This record gives sequence, structure tokens and C-alpha cells, in this order.
Amino acid sequence: MANRLTLRQNVESIELTSGGLVALRDAIGKMQALSADDNRSWMYLAGFHGFPQFQCWHGGRIGLSQQALAYDLFLPWHRAYLLTMEHTMRDQNGTAALPWWDWTSPGSHRVGVPVAYSTRRIGKNPNPLASGPVPEVRSGRVPGLPASAGRNTTRSPGNPDDLPTADQVNSVLALTDFVDFSEQLQDIHDQVHGWTGGRNGDMGTIVFAGFDPIFWAHHCMIDRIWYLWQLRHGVQNVPPDYMNKPLAPFPLTVGDVLDIHRLGYEYAQASSSHD
Amino acid sequence: MPKPTKPPTTKSRKRVTAKKQVTTGISTECLAAGFVRADLVFDGLDHSGASFEARIFINNPDADASTELTAQNRYAGRFHIFGHGGCFGDVGHCEVRGVPRPYDPRPAHPLTPMRKVVIATDALRREIKRSGGKELTLTIVPIVRSGTERCDYENVLKFDRVSVVTYA
Repeated sequence: MANRLTLRQNVESIELTSGGLVALRDAIGKMQALSADDNRSWMYLAGFHGFPQFQCWHGGRIGLSQQALAYDLFLPWHRAYLLTMEHTMRDQNGTAALPWWDWTSPGSHRVGVPVAYSTRRIGKNPNPLASGPVPEVRSGRVPGLPASAGRNTTRSPGNPDDLPTADQVNSVLALTDFVDFSEQLQDIHDQVHGWTGGRNGDMGTIVFAGFDPIFWAHHCMIDRIWYLWQLRHGVQNVPPDYMNKPLAPFPLTVGDVLDIHRLGYEYAQASSSHD
Repeated sequence: MPKPTKPPTTKSRKRVTAKKQVTTGISTECLAAGFVRADLVFDGLDHSGASFEARIFINNPDADASTELTAQNRYAGRFHIFGHGGCFGDVGHCEVRGVPRPYDPRPAHPLTPMRKVVIATDALRREIKRSGGKELTLTIVPIVRSGTERCDYENVLKFDRVSVVTYA
């Protein structure tokens, strides 16, 4: 059974073994070559998060009035989103798997964005992990915003030393309540988005973050931390009223995504200080 | 979502400093003695615009973006907002719907103001002791990390309420 699970690995591990990295580049490169209107394309999938579909979940959506729905599907929604992206990638290359970016590692605190994602070219071709296509903004679509041709994502990452630390992650892993854990982990997630995007980089805002390939490695790290938390505090450990919440547009509920083995993937063991 | 009147250009952003906020006094009289955890809870936070880091200082109204994050400067903690990036839809796209109608199965609008919880146990213990039971004020200093041409960088920090919540 174990060998049928997709094994997600640390980016720093697949950088050392060319097979996984080649498959990842191949799958993402093929998706990026498809048009935004093709539902197998990078732009189509990335467009679920922010522009133009805005389906993503962040925060509890709790205003002062408490009139809004007081639940937060940040973690389960992104787990379903990663799974959908991974399957779409594997349609292009059956051995591709999403890796996680451990932004707490000594390597990340030295170089920032992993080399696999920052190298601009692979031979004579652009590295599909360094940047992703963003669809055009058609004339008149956004009031006050000039029409723009399709473009590629950019980043202006900060000082690597400002990335979250293993101590921060360990503090979050020690929290026992799911909502408490999710809120604190999301804050670390928010920190990394701002750090990676910087100034006007696409990772820095919800609207364009999903188009940057590093988004997926960042969220794989978040999903892995949730998995590590589940190992400590229980796989089914969410508020009971969460279980049947749908994770639109994916055909899954919160209850469906709690057990990653039932979803067909596993995280590799890794030598980090928060295993 | 309030629309920016004049979206700053990339060039002008270099000169824009996000406005900080200083709260009115927060009474500490009703806080549980000997608490094991204390949080600063921000409700009604706007996240429609730029992404930013918010640094929180207790009883230090002069704190700004250059203030070091030390106990001496009464630093309490920080939170981060992953901002929407401004409105990229048609007119009304980013206006938060009101109270959901009965039988409306849709989740709340994505830009419904959010909550952030900053665990600040040690800082609150220290400052309550230092202030001798008097009121606490909070200075919240936003530092913009990322955004788009559709963001109002100057007024990025907007929230309805901040509370101190303790656990005995």
C-alpha cells in the first residue's frame, strides 16, 4: 500500500536527486504552456485562489458584529487545493509530486527561496519553477485598471534571516486546540507570503499568489505542519461542525481531507527540528 | 471594501509610510490574576489591501517602524496580514455582503473582516507589573510588505476593536 502513496519531499532533498525535480519541472512546464481557458492549465488552477475566481479561504471571516460565519477553512481548503493541483500535475507527468519548502531550515535562512525555485534558466529554457504565467486583464474588466497582456510572476524576497524559525513552528505545534493552532499557523503563513513577494511581488497578495510556483511549495509546508500537528493531537481533531463543510470548488468536505493517507499521499521523513 | 481614492503608483509608494494607531487606555483591573496565557485579540481587521506586518508596543506611543523589538521598548508581539491586494473585479466586487439571508448556503464574503490573535503572555505580565495596575495603551505600527497598484498603503491598518484575553 505504501508504495502507492504519492511521496511529498523536502525541496532541499529533491534538489539533490535530479529525478523528482525533473518530473516537477516537466509537469509544471507543460501546464504553464496551456492557455488560461484550458482547465488543465497552470493559469486555470492558479486562478482558483485569487484572480479571477477568488475561491480561497483565509481567516475566520468574523467581523465585530459576529454576524458572519464563525469558522475558518484555511487549512482544509488549501489541502484540497494542493491535492487538485498535484493530480493535475500528474496528468502531465505521472511521477511528479509537490515538494515542501522548509523556510525554517538553515539552508533557507542562508539562501532564502530554494535554488530549485530561484534559478532563472535550465539550460537554454526558462525554469518553470522560477515564475508562472498570469492571464491577461482584458480591456474594461477591472475599472480603472489598464488592460494588460499576459505576464509572468515576479518576487522580491526579503532577508533570509527574517523567515520563520523552527522555534516558531514548534510553539504552534504545541497548541492543542485546532482553531488556535490554525490561527497561529496562518500568521506564519501570512509572514512568508509577504516576505516572498516583497514590494510588488505576486506572492505578496492573495490576488496573484497562486500563479507563482513557490506558492505550492510554501503551502505544502503549511499542509505538512498541519499533518505533524495531527500526528500529535489527532487526525480527526477539528470542531464537529466543520466536518461537513464543503471546500468549494473541490468535490470534498472538511471530513474528507483530514486523513492524508486516504487522500493518497504521504510526507517523507525529514531531518528538521520540528519533525 | 473602501476603494482607494488615488491608488499610489509603484514610484510614489516609496514615500508612503503606513499610519500607526495608538489605542485608548485598556483597563487591566478585570484581568485574571496569575494568568497562564494572555492574548491581544484584534477583531474586525481589514485585509482587503496590502500585506503588512503589525508590530505592537505597550505604553510606548512613540514607537515607530524603526523601534527595536525589545522588552526595553515594551514590544509585545506582532501579527501579519496576507492582503487581498486591492479590488480586481467590477464595481461592487469587493463590497462585503451584509448579514446572510436565511437559506443562503454561501460562505461569508472573502473580505469579511478577520480576527488576529497575538499571544503576548510574557509582555503583558511584564507591562501590567510595570504599570502598577494602571491602564495599558497599545501602539500598533504597520509595515507594508507587499501590495499592488490597487492598494492604499498609507491607511493599511484598520480594525474595529482590540481586547486583552487571559486564561487562568
